[in-house]
Amino acid sequence: MRTYGSEPGTPTTEPVQVGISEFVVSDQGLTLKAYGLGSCVAVALFDPDATVGALAHVMLPNGDENDSVDLKPGKFADTAIRAMLRRMVEEGADYTSVEAKIAGGSDMFQFESFGDGVGRRNVQAAKDELEKLGVPIVAEDVGGGRGRTVEFDTATGVLTIRTASDDGVEEL
Amino acid sequence: MKLDVNALGTFYRMAREGAGIAAGRLTRMTGVDTRVGVTKLNFMRGSEIRSDFEDGREKVGVRVELSNGFDGHAMIVFDREGALNVVRTLMAESESESDEFDEFDEMTRSAVTELGQIMNNGFIDGWADVLGTVIDISTPDFIEGTTVDPFFEDLDEAPDEDDLALLFQSRIEAVDTEIGFSHYLFPDHDSMARILERQRADDHEGIEYDKLAGFDRMAKQGAQEVASAATTMTGIETTVNIRRLNFVSLEAIPEEIPPEMLVGVAFEFDGTPSGYLLFLFDEASAEEIVDAMVPTAPDEPFEDEMGKSAIKELGNIMASGFLDGWANVLDTTIDHSTPEFVRDIGSAVIDPVVIQLGENQEFAFVFDTEIQAEGREFDCDIYAIPDEDDLERALNDLDVERVDETPTTADFTDIEEDS
Repeated sequence: MRTYGSEPGTPTTEPVQVGISEFVVSDQGLTLKAYGLGSCVAVALFDPDATVGALAHVMLPNGDENDSVDLKPGKFADTAIRAMLRRMVEEGADYTSVEAKIAGGSDMFQFESFGDGVGRRNVQAAKDELEKLGVPIVAEDVGGGRGRTVEFDTATGVLTIRTASDDGVEEL
Repeated sequence: MKLDVNALGTFYRMAREGAGIAAGRLTRMTGVDTRVGVTKLNFMRGSEIRSDFEDGREKVGVRVELSNGFDGHAMIVFDREGALNVVRTLMAESESESDEFDEFDEMTRSAVTELGQIMNNGFIDGWADVLGTVIDISTPDFIEGTTVDPFFEDLDEAPDEDDLALLFQSRIEAVDTEIGFSHYLFPDHDSMARILERQRADDHEGIEYDKLAGFDRMAKQGAQEVASAATTMTGIETTVNIRRLNFVSLEAIPEEIPPEMLVGVAFEFDGTPSGYLLFLFDEASAEEIVDAMVPTAPDEPFEDEMGKSAIKELGNIMASGFLDGWANVLDTTIDHSTPEFVRDIGSAVIDPVVIQLGENQEFAFVFDTEIQAEGREFDCDIYAIPDEDDLERALNDLDVERVDETPTTADFTDIEEDS
């Protein structure tokens, strides 16, 4: 879901929601939030020196093999990561300082048609692409059978993860 | 006239593009941040549109006629209160006592009409962009009423009670204020047929439009079977509240799920068609159901196996009923997996299914059904998402004549229509 009218840089107390297949880049210290990740993966990128951060809520592993990528780069792990990096550099980030944190990629259903797990495939695709681009993964909370809601503070680079269980808050 | 997913995808993009442009213009005009809610292509019967309108709240709308590149009618409909809210926002700067009015005098009426016109234009500009054509727009009509009748007056494309119309539905909400509205497009049949023909992928056969009756019949049978299975299992009287066929982009499915704790039972099914079936309950409903099935269940029934297996058992019976209903209409066999229990927050309960389907398709037909119980907590949302190619095949094999003759055991839709 996209919000129209939020001027970048407007002081805001509300986190900006990053819907499925979307990504948001901020050099203004915004807090970015992705709700209810099941097998989807959240990829957070951060340049601590330039304080530029980005969060993607990716749905599928591989965009290079898909012909609809032009419409929504944020949909796929590989294309989302590349698009975010490009935008971050435009916003003043230094490519070589960018670090990654990833979360999500659970597998809550064991259906036959799911093979080795749709969540697992997403996590692997994100890791492969980050490795290819030389972006280090400094923290991760992936896999398992629970959903996650993540909040990424682009002022500090802290990724907060909540799960449905009672004690479920973790900071990466 | 043949429908194919590629062409429907074009319509979907029209609806989404239009909503985006309209939202942007609303923001510019009012200074209020806006958000585009879920955009859907609905296949709705006239009776369902009627019950959408007749929710007890007064409605106001602005309707225009379209011609040239696309024929039909576009209509924006606000809750009366919502429209007044917008007008208050619009006039707050120019008139200090504007909070006082709550009647539609000449000035408010023309303010709403202007607003509606700007929004309509936004939508239509979006559609024209996607279609690469020019669409002419008539002067706007202001309409108010508590039923659908004044809105449908003189509208050739308005669907009769049992006609299935393809409808664009978009919702735009203003952040932090109560302005929400629905936007409808009633396309002219011939005009739509032309576009469908042009947009159809060459390698796709498509679905004959008349076969959509089969869709509706499937949805109806499935829903009835589920409601009666639920009543048998729990002793709680249930009725089918909403039954709708949507065509949406896969991402729109999880977006629609509220970010709250949900309990669900999921299945994969295999046959013609294959796909996934999910029953989702809010937590209070799920607890009530377990309580009805297993009176000795603990207070937090999902912490142990007892509650989980009760819900899974119910899900299993409902799934069998639902898919038998489909198989009956389509004259095929559909098998389903053992139930998988899930308890989690919002979209997490459905996104694995969406991702799995997303490997091969961009859009999905979603059979969206809601079951409710009188006076008790029993809200169940059913999402049935068939594999696209399978569904197309199943529908094309369908004998529409036979569909009309398929006996039904009970008719829950009558309850919905009469109320």
